[in-house]
Amino acid sequence: MRYVARRLGLFVLTLWAALTVNFLIPRLMPGNEATAVLSRMKGVNPAALHALQVEFGINTDQNILVTYLQYLGNCLTGQFGLTAARVPVMTDIMEKLPWTLGLVGVTTVIAFAIGTMIGIVSAWRRGGRLDSILPPFLFIVSTLPVFFVALVLLYVFAVTLGWLPLASNYDLGATPSLSLSFVGDVIGHALLPGATLVIVTAGSWIYTMRNNMVTTLAEDYVRMARAKGLPSWQIMIDYAARNAILPNLTGFAMQLGYVLGGSILVEYTFSYPGLGYLFYTGTTDHDLPLQSALFLVYTLAILICVLIADFASALLDPRTRDS
Amino acid sequence: MRGSRFFAVLVSASVIAAGCGSSTATPGATGTSPGASAPVNTGLIGGKLVIDNESGSTWTCQFNPYNPSVSITSVGFIYEPLEFVDALETNADGSNVVTPWLASGSTWSADFKTLTFTIRSAVKWSDGQPFSAADVVYTFDALKADPALDLNALWSADGGPLTSVAQQGTDQVVFTFSGPAQTYFFYVADQTPIVPQHIWSTQDQTKLDSYADTDPVGTGSYLMSNCTENNIKYLRNPNYWQSTPGHPVPQVAELDYPAFLSNTPANLELAEGQAQWGAQYIPNIDSFYIAKDPAHRHYWFPATLNVALFPNMSNPLLGNVAVRQAISLAINRADVSQRGESGYEPAANQTGIVLPTYSAWYDRSIDTTAFDVAKADQILEAAGFTKGSDGIYANAGGQKLSFTIKTISGYTDWDSSLSVIRQELQTAGIAVTIQDEDTSVYVPDLQGGNFQLAYGEETGGPLPYYELRQMLLSSNIGSTNYSRYSSSSTDALFNQYASASAADQLTIIHQIEQVMVGQVPVIPVTEGVDWYQYDTTDFGGWPTPQDPYAQPPVWATPDNGVVLTHLFPTH
Amino acid sequence: MTIPAATTESGTLSAVPAGRGSAASRRFAQAVLRNRKATAGLVILAAISFIAAFPGLFTNVDPHAAIFDQQAGPSAQHLLGTTQVGEDVYSQLIWGTRLTLIITVIVSLVATMISILIGVTAAYVGGMADRSLSLLTDVFLVLPTLPLLIVLTAYLPSGSLTITAVMIATSWAFAARQLRAQGLSLRTRDFLEAAKVRGERRSYIIIVEILPNMISLLVASFLGLAVFVVGFAAGLQFLGLSNSTELTWGTMLYYSQQNGALESGNVWWMLAPGIAVAVLGTGFALLNYAFDEIGNPALRPVRRRRAKPTA
Repeated sequence: MRYVARRLGLFVLTLWAALTVNFLIPRLMPGNEATAVLSRMKGVNPAALHALQVEFGINTDQNILVTYLQYLGNCLTGQFGLTAARVPVMTDIMEKLPWTLGLVGVTTVIAFAIGTMIGIVSAWRRGGRLDSILPPFLFIVSTLPVFFVALVLLYVFAVTLGWLPLASNYDLGATPSLSLSFVGDVIGHALLPGATLVIVTAGSWIYTMRNNMVTTLAEDYVRMARAKGLPSWQIMIDYAARNAILPNLTGFAMQLGYVLGGSILVEYTFSYPGLGYLFYTGTTDHDLPLQSALFLVYTLAILICVLIADFASALLDPRTRDS
Repeated sequence: MRGSRFFAVLVSASVIAAGCGSSTATPGATGTSPGASAPVNTGLIGGKLVIDNESGSTWTCQFNPYNPSVSITSVGFIYEPLEFVDALETNADGSNVVTPWLASGSTWSADFKTLTFTIRSAVKWSDGQPFSAADVVYTFDALKADPALDLNALWSADGGPLTSVAQQGTDQVVFTFSGPAQTYFFYVADQTPIVPQHIWSTQDQTKLDSYADTDPVGTGSYLMSNCTENNIKYLRNPNYWQSTPGHPVPQVAELDYPAFLSNTPANLELAEGQAQWGAQYIPNIDSFYIAKDPAHRHYWFPATLNVALFPNMSNPLLGNVAVRQAISLAINRADVSQRGESGYEPAANQTGIVLPTYSAWYDRSIDTTAFDVAKADQILEAAGFTKGSDGIYANAGGQKLSFTIKTISGYTDWDSSLSVIRQELQTAGIAVTIQDEDTSVYVPDLQGGNFQLAYGEETGGPLPYYELRQMLLSSNIGSTNYSRYSSSSTDALFNQYASASAADQLTIIHQIEQVMVGQVPVIPVTEGVDWYQYDTTDFGGWPTPQDPYAQPPVWATPDNGVVLTHLFPTH
Repeated sequence: MTIPAATTESGTLSAVPAGRGSAASRRFAQAVLRNRKATAGLVILAAISFIAAFPGLFTNVDPHAAIFDQQAGPSAQHLLGTTQVGEDVYSQLIWGTRLTLIITVIVSLVATMISILIGVTAAYVGGMADRSLSLLTDVFLVLPTLPLLIVLTAYLPSGSLTITAVMIATSWAFAARQLRAQGLSLRTRDFLEAAKVRGERRSYIIIVEILPNMISLLVASFLGLAVFVVGFAAGLQFLGLSNSTELTWGTMLYYSQQNGALESGNVWWMLAPGIAVAVLGTGFALLNYAFDEIGNPALRPVRRRRAKPTA
C-alpha cells in the first residue's frame, strides 16, 4: 500500500513540475507571448489586439502569480481556451486524439509483440542464423532517424510506385462513416505511417529482449530447468522470458516518450492530421493555448504509462516492491 | 514567395492610417451589371471544380468572415463586399478599376469626407431573407461594437477616420469621416464583407469575433453545403443576384476545397490533373506541371509587391547614401530572381513601382536601376571607403562594411535569394551574414529598428501609393517604415496626394520615385507574386495576363468571388 | 528512434575488472579491437571525423556557391546533383559534416558529464540530496523529449547553439538514473570502505575510486546518447526549427523537402544527407552494441558453429 501511495505521490509531483515547466517556457522571454500574437495578427489595430490578448489569456496587466494559478486551475478543468483559429482547444484535441492514439497505440503493440517474440527466439537460438543476422540488422534499422525512414517509404511506395496514399488520414473527398470502404480507406492511409513507426521501434525491442533473454538464460535456475529435462518451450517462456521481460516493462514506459516524439515527425512527413501534426502547426503558429494543452497531454500520457508499468512490475516482481 | 498568402490575408487586415486617396473611377451610380470586363456567359451550368491550395491545417468548419484563420473559405464564396476594387487593373489615369457589387454605386462629397453608397435592391440572403441597406449599417456598427472585428481599423475609436454610418432613405448608406478619406475606399468598399443582421444580431455583439458561424448565410454565389475536416463542398447559389434569365451566375455547379496540409500532396494533385484551380508554389513548374498537358495547363504569377532589402538608416554606415547606392548597384536582380525564386518573381526596380502591374505610374526616365559593380566601387571610393586586404570595404575609421541581414525563418525562397545576394555583395566588397528569425522576433525587431539590414515586404494595397507610404512616411516609423526614413518634404508629398487630382497624383508618385532612386531608403530586389495555376480542360473564364479582371489566387478575397462569377464549364 | 537499454535496470555492467592498471586497459583495448562490430563502428566514426576535420581534401567547390544549374540531377561534375539555387549537393554534404558532428559530440559529452555529476553525487552523497536529485531526474525523464525540444526551440533564438543547449537539457536524465543505480551498488564495496578509512576526501573517492569503475557504463551512455542525438538534432533541423542558414545535414534535408526534391525527381538532394545521418547513427550504434557485448560477457557472440541449447 505504501508503495502505491509513494508512486501516486511521485505521479502528482511530476505532473505539477511538468505543468510549471509548460507554463514558464513561453513566458521566459519577456513580451514573447504578446509579440507572438501581434506578429500573427500583424496590422490589427491596438484595440482589437488588446481584446484578443485578453481572450487568449495573455493578459499583460495581470500579476504573473495570478495567471499561474488561473492556468493551473484551467488545466485541471480542461479549460484551455480557444486556438488561434477560434476553435475550443479541447474540441480540437479530442478530434485529433483518436487518430494519433490509433496510430501510435496499434503500432506500439505490434512492434512490441514482433520485437519481443523475435528477441526471445533469436536469443534462444544464439549463434544461429536468425541471431547473427536479424538483431544487428534490425538494430541498425532502428537507429535510422524516424523522418528518414518515413521519407524513404513515402518516396518508394507513395510517390514512385503509387501503391499507397501520400498524405492525410482518409481520402479528402470521403465522408467519415462506419462503412467498410471508409474503414479500408483509413487503414490504407495509416499503413505507411504505421509501418514507419513499427520499423523504427521494433528493432530496439528485439535488441533489449534478446539481450535480457541471453543474460537470463545464463542464470543458474535456467540451467537447473534444462538439467531437469523440461521441454525447451516451457523453459523459454515460463522461466526465461517471464523474467527477461520485466526490465522491458519499465523500458516500455520510457520508450513511449520517444515514440510520441517519433509520431510527431511521422505525422509531419505524411501530413497525417493527428496530435503530432497539431503540435507542429501549433508551434509554428505560436498558438500558445494549443501548445500548452498538447504538451500537457503528452506528459500525462507518459506519466500514466509509467505509473501503469510500475504497478505492473510491482505486481509481477515482488523484488521491486521493497525498493 | 511562399509567404505571399500570409501577407495577402493581411492586406485585408492591414493598418494603414488615412491619408489621401485616389479618385474613384466610378463616381455615382453606374448600371447594374458588373463592370470593366464582362464575363463570357455560355448559359451552361455544370461541372465540379477542385481547388488546390495548401492551407496547412484541417478545416475547422467555421466560416466567420472576420476570423482571419478561416475567412479565405467564406469571403468571396459566401460573403460579399460593397464594391470590388481590382488591384491588378488600372484605368488610363492610374486609378483602380472598380466594379459595383452589393452597392450599385457610390459618390464622394467634394471634400471627400462623406461617402454615399446606393445599395442594390433585389438581392437576397441565402436563407431567402431580403438584403437591404440596414444590413450594411449593421455590419459597420458591429465593427464598432467589437473592436476585434475592425481588422482594418476603420472606426475612430480604433484609430481610423470613420465617425458614423447611417442609413439614408430606403437604399442609401452614408459614411462620415473625420478627414479626407479617399484612400480608405478600398477598405470600406472592398475589404468589409457584409453580414446578415437578422442572424448576427442574435449573437453577443461584443464577442462576434469568436462567433463560429458554422452555417453561414451570405449573399454570395455559393452555398456551403458540406464540411468535414478534410474537405469543404460548395454548391452554386440558384438565387444569386447576378443571374439574369438565360445567363445564370455562377455557372460551375459544385466546388470542392480539400484541406491540404503540405505542399507535396497539393502539388501532386495538380500535376495529376485532379485539381484545376491552384495557388501553389511549385518548384520546376514547367516540367512538373505544365509538361503533362501543355495545351490546357497554365500558370500566371502576377506581381503585386516589392520584396526588398531595408537598410536601417540610423546605422552610421548605412545612413550614408553612398553605401546604400552601392548595395543597390551590386545586386544582380535578374540572377536573384532566377536562382532565388526560380525565375518566378521578376526583378524589381529601384523606383519601387511594381511592373508590369502598375506601369501607368512608372516613369522610365527616373529609373536608374542597374547591376554595375564598377560604379558601386566608384561611389564607395568617392565616399572615402577603401578595400581592405580581405576584399571588404572599410572607411577611414576602420569600420568595415559588414552587416547582418535579418529574414523570416521558414521562407526558404527568401533564404535562397539571400544566399545569392550574399555572394554578390561579397564580390562587391560588402560582407553580409544572414540571420533567420521567427516571425515573433522578426516583427518586433524590424519595428523597433533592432537590425542592420532586413529582407521583407510591406502589406501594400491596390496601388503603389499604399506600399510607398508604408515604407516612407515618417509617422510610420515603429510600424511599417522599417528603414526609419524621415523627410518632411516626402511626408508633404504623401499628404498632398489625398486631395490631389488624378494628374497631380501621378506627378506626386513620380516625385516619390525620385526619392527612392536618389535616396535609396529601400532597395527593392524582386517583386512578390501570387502563385496561380489553372487548367482549361473543363473550365474557362480564368483571369489571365491579358484579362486581369481579379487577383487570381483562391485565397485573395474578395477577388475569389469575382473569379467564381466568371468561371464556366467548357462542356 | 530509441535508445536500447544499455543494461538491465539493476545496472550490473562491470565486466571490465575493477581497479586500475594498464593491464586492465590493455585487455579492454584488445577486447574492443577483436570485436567486429566495434571495428566497423570505429571505422565509420573515424572516416566521418576525418571528413569533418579536412573537408577541403574531398571537394574544392564552395558549398554556398550558387552558380551551377539549378536542381540538376547527378552528373560527372556534380556527383549528387545540385540544389534549387544551384549549389553542389556533394560539396554541401562534405562541408556540412563538421557542424553535424560537432553538435552530436558536444551534446553527448556535456549531457554525459551532467549525468555523471548528478547520478554519482546522488548515489554517493545520499540522503536529502539524493532524494531531491532523484526527483529532478525523474521529472526530466518523463517530460516528452521531442515536444519539449520543439517548444524550447520555438521560443529561443534559432540556431545550433539553442539546439545544443536544449538537447543537453533534455537528455541527461536517462544516463543519470543508470549511473545512480550503479553508483549505489558500488557504494558498499570494500575498496571504497578502505579509502574512507584511509581518510580520503569524498571528492577524491568519487573521482579516483568510483568513476573508473563506471567507465564502461559511461562510454555506453555516451554512445547511446550520441545515437539519439544524431537523429533528433537532424529531426529538429528537418522541421525547420533550427537556423536554416547554417549548413548541416539536417538543414539540407529541410531545404530539399521545402523545394520538393522528392517529387521533382531530384532525389539525391534528399537521400544523401538522410543516408549520411543514418550512417553516423549506425557508427555510434555499432560501437554501443559492441560495448554491450564487451561489458557483459554473456552477450558476447558465440563463435561456435551451432549453439543448440537443447535437443
